[in-house]
Amino acid sequence: MKASNWAYGLAVGAALLGGATAASAQSMARVSINADIRSTYPGVNRDSNTDGVIHHIVEGLVAFKEDSSVAPMLAEKIETSADGLTYTFTLREGLKFHNGAPVTADDVLFSWSKYMNPETKWRCHSDFSKGNSEVVSLDKVDDRTVAFKLKQPSALFLGLLARIDCGSAGILHKDSFAADGSFVKPIGTGPYMLADWKKGEYVELAKFDGYASRTEKRDGYAGARKASIDTVRFVIIPDRSAAKAALYSGSIEVLSDLDVNDLKETKARKGIKVDIAETMGLSGILMQTKDPLLSNVKMRLAIAHAVDTAAIVDAVTLGTAKPNNSPIPSVSAYYGKPQGEMIKYDPALARKLAAEAGYKGEPIKMITNKRYQPSFDSAVFIQAMAKEAGINIELEVIEWATQLDMYTKGDYQMMSFLYSARLDPSLSFDMFAGPKATQPRKVWDNPAAQTLIEQSMTISDTEKRKEIFNKLESMFRQDMPMLVLYNGADIAAYSDKLEGYNAWMAGQPRLWGVTLKQ
Amino acid sequence: MTGLRFSWRRANAVIGGALLAVILFAAAIAVVWTPFDPLGINLRARYAPPSWLRPFGADEFGRDVLSRAMAGALTSTSVALLTVAFAVICGTALGLVTGYLRGWTDRAIMMVNDALLAFPGILLALGLMAVIGPNRYGIVLALGIAYTPSVVRVVRGTVLSIREREYVEASRVLGNGEIYTMLRHVLPNAFAPLAVLATSMFGWVILSESALSFLGLGVPPPAPTWGNMLAAARPYLESAPWLGITPGLCIAATLLGINLLGDALRDKLDPRMAG
Amino acid sequence: MGRYLLGRLLTTIPTLLLVSFSVFVLIRLVPGDPIVLMLGDAADAETVRGIREAYGLEEPIYVQFGLWLLKAISGDLGHSISNGAAVAPLILDRFQVSASIVLIAVLVAASISVPLGMIAAWRQNSLTDILVVGGATLLLSLPSFWLGLLLLLLFGLKLGWVPVVGYVSFAENWQGALTYILLPTVTLILIEIGVVTRMARASTVEVLRLEYITHARAKGVSEASVLMRHALPNAFAPTWTLLGLVLGNLLGGIAVVETVFTLPGLGRLLVDAIFARDYPIIQGCMLFTAFLYVIVNLLVDLCYPLFDPRVMAE
Repeated sequence: MKASNWAYGLAVGAALLGGATAASAQSMARVSINADIRSTYPGVNRDSNTDGVIHHIVEGLVAFKEDSSVAPMLAEKIETSADGLTYTFTLREGLKFHNGAPVTADDVLFSWSKYMNPETKWRCHSDFSKGNSEVVSLDKVDDRTVAFKLKQPSALFLGLLARIDCGSAGILHKDSFAADGSFVKPIGTGPYMLADWKKGEYVELAKFDGYASRTEKRDGYAGARKASIDTVRFVIIPDRSAAKAALYSGSIEVLSDLDVNDLKETKARKGIKVDIAETMGLSGILMQTKDPLLSNVKMRLAIAHAVDTAAIVDAVTLGTAKPNNSPIPSVSAYYGKPQGEMIKYDPALARKLAAEAGYKGEPIKMITNKRYQPSFDSAVFIQAMAKEAGINIELEVIEWATQLDMYTKGDYQMMSFLYSARLDPSLSFDMFAGPKATQPRKVWDNPAAQTLIEQSMTISDTEKRKEIFNKLESMFRQDMPMLVLYNGADIAAYSDKLEGYNAWMAGQPRLWGVTLKQ
Repeated sequence: MTGLRFSWRRANAVIGGALLAVILFAAAIAVVWTPFDPLGINLRARYAPPSWLRPFGADEFGRDVLSRAMAGALTSTSVALLTVAFAVICGTALGLVTGYLRGWTDRAIMMVNDALLAFPGILLALGLMAVIGPNRYGIVLALGIAYTPSVVRVVRGTVLSIREREYVEASRVLGNGEIYTMLRHVLPNAFAPLAVLATSMFGWVILSESALSFLGLGVPPPAPTWGNMLAAARPYLESAPWLGITPGLCIAATLLGINLLGDALRDKLDPRMAG
Repeated sequence: MGRYLLGRLLTTIPTLLLVSFSVFVLIRLVPGDPIVLMLGDAADAETVRGIREAYGLEEPIYVQFGLWLLKAISGDLGHSISNGAAVAPLILDRFQVSASIVLIAVLVAASISVPLGMIAAWRQNSLTDILVVGGATLLLSLPSFWLGLLLLLLFGLKLGWVPVVGYVSFAENWQGALTYILLPTVTLILIEIGVVTRMARASTVEVLRLEYITHARAKGVSEASVLMRHALPNAFAPTWTLLGLVLGNLLGGIAVVETVFTLPGLGRLLVDAIFARDYPIIQGCMLFTAFLYVIVNLLVDLCYPLFDPRVMAE
């Protein structure tokens, strides 16, 4: 009896082992995303999760490096004409789509025609159809060469073309679309192919064996992108604690955006590694300059001086992010001394300024939400600090959808808000500066600043641009329409079975150049 | 047998009453005093484990959990009381009207009533909260409307079952007005089932409010309620378990108190159901 | 019988229409817009309007409702704004998850609770009774999400016996599916045991006091036989009604448990859709839940005579 039990146990053990080896032939890495992706059409109906998945599947002519500069991707080289109006891209040799078809200039023209069709509702359509980087024409020079012609010289053209949220204008094969021209699924050139999208549960990608990689080392979305893991599954886990638990228990291998409050605990965990990179998003407190009370600049300055930015950022991000009062991200090449200067924490001065503004303790409502924990945490700390300086801030915690609606309408007094990454300083200013009459979501309405921002978009000379940005910085500090706090950090937690995984400035997961140990 | 049954009721009443008394006492004290400011942030006390100074520890902002649980008791019980009052008043009025008038008024009200009963409370709550604004009155109204239909059913049922009885007829024959008859003769009969329903409802509301807050659709933070304390504690279940245990225990103790008291009440008012 | 059934079904139509219409209007009154959410901090009015038009959201609300209703009658509940998934199959898919948990939980809870409640009633006021009723009341008083969290902490994180997150369908891998739904099902079972045991006990107590039981006992029928033959069938009827209610409530209120265990069920689909303002999914879920609730009640009413001999006799 005993012997037979033992034999049975052995048999079961062997069966289990057999199962394990069968599984190891096909390696799979599971990555958590906190919501389902919105579509698989690059830059069309997307959000941050969607972008993260899409960039495994498609690639554009150019891509962002980790220092937010632009490098060629599918292009072998890029030539700019002397007048700055023509950009000529030569495609790399040996490029193949997932279906095996070679990538030609015609594919670039075809993809571009899809993106530039207003019906597509491509996110970057308006960037190239009007304004500073308007594209007049795209022509085929030969089978491997295309030329973009711009209406005017632009400092932003390549950066816009690489924009992560626009899918880097990823080049798609014709068969990505049905006969009636509607989008079916992305047949791109990326290191992974779309295998299965089980809506609401997971998105599965399979390694593309015919991938033609660059030879430079991996750098952001640029450089070498060769995949070695057979299957990557993006698992939808909306709940942050559940995602953490999943990582601990080995149900997933990567948690690409660990909450900072879990950092200490996760770091101490055996078998889990953590990597931190500074990002280019922006966390700040918006102050509505149209509000009767906050229209007084002294009141806005009073609030700014009542807040100890360094202490808040340290408490909220636990030292993973640097305090920064400038709209320009601290990792930017344009970040210098004027940007690095911190607003003085001075409750007495705040009190004095508030008194000069005629403030008598009226409650000021600050909107925040629980969806973005650091944003909520900052609001709670600011409320407490403002109280010390005699400024009575009331928190109103609402749902993110409602807050975004109020933001878009400019319908608030104060708001703790989170901007997504802008990879060029011109865009950093442009995201919140503009005329409130036509675009109520804009925070800073200053025509003189507007002129400077537009100027900065056409000039390519770095020194001249720096000068403009420094001037804008001092105007911004004088007006104080928004108290910038910090840029944030991408904290990636991953299983130590993964070799070569890294966090980076865009905060998106990258499963190429990564190997899975068994 | 009678003696034993009596002891059941007494045991229920004593334990339930004691539990509720503790909770209500804590809530009452919280009106004037808590050990610490429930909203007061203390960076040095973040995630402080239970100690003599802070018997239930401190949360991610260094706020005292005991103070927050007390303030939460105040929020949760006052929301529950207001909600039950709302549902009972509206439900009774509607139930009397619909049970007494019958005809198309009855049918129309009952149709809306049935529709409301088939409506998951979460969406109703969210919709109303968004329209009214995110505050505790929003949730009172939302949950009040969600629970009114069951009161309507009970009251209407009582009215239907006794409106043809002799003494009600007699009152009418004596020339008493419909409204007088209704209030004087019909309503008292609805009292017993209503009292039992209201007690259970108090428990349901505490539970619903905490569930809604847990889902992020209830009383918004930083104002403490047990539900949003529990929701906020979730990520720290493993590293700071005291954050989740305190509010959970509070909810469970209140519900237990209410259930026991409800049993005692049912035994007293509806001896048919007694055990 | 057929006519009765048809009549009952017809009377549910106004209810369902009312629910659909209220949801349709209410969800659009709520601030927040699916398209603004899609575009985030860069949403300018012109782009938003353009995309809203493409989704038909700029039409007057009664036109939108009419169009939706026409399609809904033919079983087409439209497509999700967030990810383009067809709503009707999505709901059915998610419903399988919720239904498997709820059904298993109710069945297990009933098969434990009904005997337990009867024994407690039979041995009324004994120590057994006190323990059973006390235990049931305690279980009843635990918030499901708290109990779920504690179970998750203990069995998922500390002991690592079951996976903490994820789901596979029974069709794909039934052993795997079992490990995923184990904890949520146990959570629901524990809570429901509280409710059903108390109900079963109360109805048995009532039945045991009836004359014919006293009569049977007086005739010298064995206690077991009294319990099985006479008390059980009669005590089961009210419990059956309650089971129907429990089933309906669970389907509406399962969202919290699904959130705790991150199960892709109907409740979470609805809550996520509310946060994303995904109108077609919200409408579909509400219509489906209301429909289900109505059907469950109807079934309970239809089956009631089967369990209650008194009604049968009439």
